[in-house]
Amino acid sequence: MNRRDFLGGAAATFAATAFAQGSGAAKSKVPASSQVNLAIIGPGSRGQQLMRTFLRVPGVRFIGLCDIYEPRWAQARKIIGENTPAVRDYRELLSQKDIDAVIVSTPLSLHAQHVGAALDSAHHVYGEKSMALTVEQCDQMFGAVKKSGRHYQIGLQYHYAPWFREAVRMISSGKIGKVTQIYAYWHRNNSWRRPVPNNDPKLERLINWRLYREYSGGLVAELGSHHINFANEVFGAIPVSVIASGGVDFWKDGREMPDNVQVTYRYPGGQTLFFSAITTNRLDGCEVRVLGTGGSIVLTEADGTYYYEPSTATSAVPEALAVEHGIVTGASYRAELPYRGQGQPVAVPKGTAGNPDFLACSSFIDAIRNERRPLADEQIGWRTGVTVAMGNYAIEHGERVKFADHVREPAPSST
Amino acid sequence: MGTTFSIYLYSSDRESASVQFDAAFDEIERVEEALSNYRPTSELSRINRLASKQRVTTDPEVFRVLQSSIEYSRRTGGAFDITVGPLMRAWGFFRANGRYPTAVELSQARAKIGWSNVELDNTGRTITFRAPGMELDLGGIGKGYAVDQVITVLRQAAVTSALIDAGSSTLYALGAPPGKSGWKVIVPKPGQRSQAVSSVFLRDASLSTSGSYEKFFRLNGRTYCHIMDPRTGQPVQGMLQTTVIAPTATDSDALSTAMFVMGPAAGRRFLPSVPNTSAVWVEGTLEHPRIEQWRWPTVLCRQNDDCTPDRKDEEKP
Repeated sequence: MNRRDFLGGAAATFAATAFAQGSGAAKSKVPASSQVNLAIIGPGSRGQQLMRTFLRVPGVRFIGLCDIYEPRWAQARKIIGENTPAVRDYRELLSQKDIDAVIVSTPLSLHAQHVGAALDSAHHVYGEKSMALTVEQCDQMFGAVKKSGRHYQIGLQYHYAPWFREAVRMISSGKIGKVTQIYAYWHRNNSWRRPVPNNDPKLERLINWRLYREYSGGLVAELGSHHINFANEVFGAIPVSVIASGGVDFWKDGREMPDNVQVTYRYPGGQTLFFSAITTNRLDGCEVRVLGTGGSIVLTEADGTYYYEPSTATSAVPEALAVEHGIVTGASYRAELPYRGQGQPVAVPKGTAGNPDFLACSSFIDAIRNERRPLADEQIGWRTGVTVAMGNYAIEHGERVKFADHVREPAPSST
Repeated sequence: MGTTFSIYLYSSDRESASVQFDAAFDEIERVEEALSNYRPTSELSRINRLASKQRVTTDPEVFRVLQSSIEYSRRTGGAFDITVGPLMRAWGFFRANGRYPTAVELSQARAKIGWSNVELDNTGRTITFRAPGMELDLGGIGKGYAVDQVITVLRQAAVTSALIDAGSSTLYALGAPPGKSGWKVIVPKPGQRSQAVSSVFLRDASLSTSGSYEKFFRLNGRTYCHIMDPRTGQPVQGMLQTTVIAPTATDSDALSTAMFVMGPAAGRRFLPSVPNTSAVWVEGTLEHPRIEQWRWPTVLCRQNDDCTPDRKDEEKP
């Protein structure tokens, strides 16, 4: 297989052309009671999970599949339970009639090409995270969404997690004071490698694309996107600068993307997001620790916990009083062991419980049926996408990177 | 679900094995997130929250598992039943605090169970509960389904020899260890894990065991185990353990529970309808067990035999 094959049998002209062609005639909304017809480009492991989840939404049907790796066709058809038409070339898929929306779950470097083409052919798009590999591609995709008038939802499912939403509400209400730091990590103890059928070297990059620079944003993109999106939301902005490190230090198996990354973003209000991903120890798992002056919130993949912050002095003893009454002041030692007690669960409001994937997918279908803007829209996607891209830029160049030198946030969409 | 999975496999090198393990455990996690009733975010939990109030659409995979479960209920006359949760709760087994329920509690619990109250509509893949307060618990079949899915993943990863163990109650033997005819599996005596009821060499087959001697309570000289007879609303009496060998782990898991409830007489009438199965029942008391079997492939250790496992590793001729 050569690069041309990998790109889906298409010359990699991408899509400056596709973006420039405009969106064609606007489609009417899909009536609320009607079947929503989906197609998917890239039904790999994440794509297959999205398919299962979308099929839990009433009135959803998959009517088209596209993958250059044909064994995926049978796997996807088994999930759908139908002999759904499948093609290798995404352009052939997009020319198929009656598709309402397209799911794009291809390698990161192909998002811009595939999402752009889907929008250009007047389809709504659910696009896996991160938005795109580079800042330039994120800019192109943002413009393409605006131009198309179609819905774009970024696959940041934790944006829909009830306990994340509740945490954002608590933080906004001042429950934990001023948030100054977010410490986030996703620590695993495995190679982050997937089995290659028959150990066929020709399939290595196709199956393990996440490990190769040409296609992937590595751990920052694939694991850190969720944490980064959350920090961007809490701090209400994208960062102003980033320093980072990372390398192929343990899994020296020919991969190009780091097997460990440490990224520190600084935000306009002087706040910090520190994100770490490692592949050699899983003690910490996946957590977001939101540290405020009046408390903390720790979020996981399944729940959230609130911790109060021990109160500090709110008034000082006036110097005159101290002198008059002979108060002696001085430093005292207090052990600063980590807090090991239980916190309070972040209570999810009644009736809002649910699986983040399901909530994200059902929300997308609702957006199509009722012409509602997705919660995780192109602006969220762009903000997360460029923050990821700048983090990787900092790792690659080993220098502090100012966002202003590379990134200019586009005006939000008005619709 | 909510159990410990162990995987043993032969691979060309440590690195390949590590990748294969990861793929297998990823699959277990995926199935757990679909079928666990311990996780509020699972698909099964979503169905349980909503199906008393509305029709709930689910994906083809989950729908197939539910269809299989209900089909087992139909074929076993309700001996196998995934709606038995409220009954388990009434008897205190969800809180590991077994007790005899009041007549009112029992009556209320029985109003919330019954596989025939689960309406599955194939056209839209929808599930509806016909009675309020119902819930589905795939504890009797979900482990087996997860094991079967892991086997599929391992086969795709070119693994030809592996043993999957779900909570020591459901096993699947993929192929055989190098130079062996199968994976040696010991069926322990109830309450005496150092003693064997039987040893079998398993190859491309599954074995599941249901036992009453680990979760139970005693009241007025009687023992009440955690396995319910959904038809009576009472814990099964007089059965210590059942073990079933079947071609798939989904089948062996469901059948071991069903055989526990049905007992050997009804079980022997039922099992011929499921090809390539065999079973062994241990009834009575821990002190005086009685062993019955159906097409069991190897020697069974009776009460007065020397039953140390090492003496029982001969293969079936």
